[in-house]
Parts: sequence; structure tokens; C-alpha cells
Amino acid sequence: MDFRPLTETERKHLITALRGNAQDGLAVLMDRQTTSFLGTAEEVPDEEVINAIRSVPCHY
Amino acid sequence: MLLADDVSRALFAEYAGHRSSDRGGEETGWALLGLRRADEAVVLGTLPAGAGREADEAHVKFNAAAQAFASRVVRQGHRQLTLLGVVHTHPGSLRHPSSGDYRGDVRWVANLRGAEGVFGIGTADAAPNPDAGISWQPAPNVQCLGELCLSWYALGIQDRNYRPLPVELTIGPDLAAPLRPVWDELEVHAERLERLARQLSRVKFDVAPGHQKSALVVTIPLPEDGRAIRVELEGKDVRYRLLIPDGDLAADLREDRVDVGVFLMLSELAAR
Repeated sequence: MDFRPLTETERKHLITALRGNAQDGLAVLMDRQTTSFLGTAEEVPDEEVINAIRSVPCHY
Repeated sequence: MLLADDVSRALFAEYAGHRSSDRGGEETGWALLGLRRADEAVVLGTLPAGAGREADEAHVKFNAAAQAFASRVVRQGHRQLTLLGVVHTHPGSLRHPSSGDYRGDVRWVANLRGAEGVFGIGTADAAPNPDAGISWQPAPNVQCLGELCLSWYALGIQDRNYRPLPVELTIGPDLAAPLRPVWDELEVHAERLERLARQLSRVKFDVAPGHQKSALVVTIPLPEDGRAIRVELEGKDVRYRLLIPDGDLAADLREDRVDVGVFLMLSELAAR
């Protein structure tokens, strides 16, 4: 098993992914063979965007 | 917050164009598409309020049907884009969202990633700048160009007031800009095109050269290899074609309701 410190970029990506998971429920992707961190599922569903646009309130 | 430079140019240019139009006394606005990261928002697309907006000098309600369909088109190639917030203008010099804005926005941000939104206020109250044509920032959250100002704020679902949001420019596109030449067609057909997109998989929307101007093009691939239905929306014209590997065939179909026309063609083709 390989233990090594994360690079700065890797650390930032991991923190972003964990925050996204905690705040928005975004999936954190894992390599199925090595269980290492692969990134996040960043796609936003159409319905989420369309519902947000359709609910924009009147502005004054 | 990062603004793509093309987004910033579009906001200022369209705001100036709006003020010189016959509806220039009304409020107007834009919905903002972009990337929502953990610590920042990157604005990469603007969707205008549209000619179908409800507005006067004291309020604006965007043409949401057109903006919703436009978001679907823009996101065809950029699935990570989300709605970040909105910009709207004030006719006077109030560079801050109103209390009426707050009552709607603080509930609405629950629909946004992170339950937080970006809000821009446009005003035309800047002091004349001798460096004509160059924008400046009198405060970290305020951009000015000529007499026009955009003041930026963030609001979360638990905030009791808007927070000034520092803004920086970065080189980048307005990913919704290609839709501007066909925005009229998009507004006219938005509801029916949205219905088509929900009912049929693999529908694709593009902007392509038309006969007189740009056309909004709908392509529906058929199960048979290389065949597709193509609809071109240009001005009041709705043209239907059958694309085949050897070229394309114009359909003798006069139907302004684009979803009805597509299903009539599918029915005709299924019967053969």
C-alpha cells in the first residue's frame, strides 16, 4: 500500500469534493481498483437548472 | 466571484442598448449561468430577460420559459453549468437590492447550489470618467463603464441582508452569446421546443446560417442510420427537412407549431 502526502492540487480537489458532498450531496468518485480519489460528479441535471430559472422571483 | 470578460461586456453592452430602446425606462435583467465552486462562482453565460418579460419602471419578471429553454441549449455542451443568480436594473441610483427583492430572493436561493445566489444591480448613475471606454471599480463589488454601474452581492438562505461580493474579471466566453441572433425565435417557440426536448431523446439544438439571418435549428436523429428530421426556425418561417445520407429533402409541411410538425413528420415516416 502506497502512502504519500497529497500534492497541493490534489488536496484542493479533495477538499472541494468533500465540501460539495457535505453541502450539496455531490458524489465523490472513487477508483474501483485502488479506491483512490477520482474527483466529483460535476454534471448538473437539466431539471435543477430549469426549475431554478422558472422560479426566479419578480425583482423590484 | 469571477466574471468572464465576454459576460461583463455583454451585460454592459445590452444594458446600454436597453436604455436607448423604446422600453428603456423599464427595469430589465439577466439570469447568470456558470460554475459553482466551493469558494467561488465563475459566471460564464447571460440569459436576457427577453422581449416577453413583464416589466415597468418599478419591477421586472423575466421570460422564464425562454430562459429555461435557452439554458437547456447552452448546457448541451456544458453539463456542469448551473444557475448562479440574476442581475436586474434600477432606474434610479439605488445600488442595492430592495427590500422587496430580499423577500423573494431569500426564499428563492434555496433552489441554488449551496443555497446561495449572486445578485447584480445595474444603475446608470456613475460620475463621468475621463478615461472613456475603460471600466473601473470604485469598490471591490462595483464595476462602472461610462455612466453604467453593476453592483454585486451574495445572499444565502440564512442571511438577513445581501453581502457585497468582490468581483474580478477573467478571460472567458459568454456561452449564451451564440443564441442572441435567434433569441426572438427562441422566445416564440420556447414552450414547444422545451416539450420536444422532454419527449424525445437525442434532440439537438443549434444556431446555423438561415436564408436571411441566423436560424434556430432542431435536429431529431431517427433510428435508421444517418437519417434525421431537421427544423429551421427563422423569423416567422418554420421549415421542415428530412436529412438522408445523400442530402436532404424539404418536407411539404406548413405547421407553425414546431412540436406538432415534428410529430406529424414522425407519424408520416412511421407509416412508410
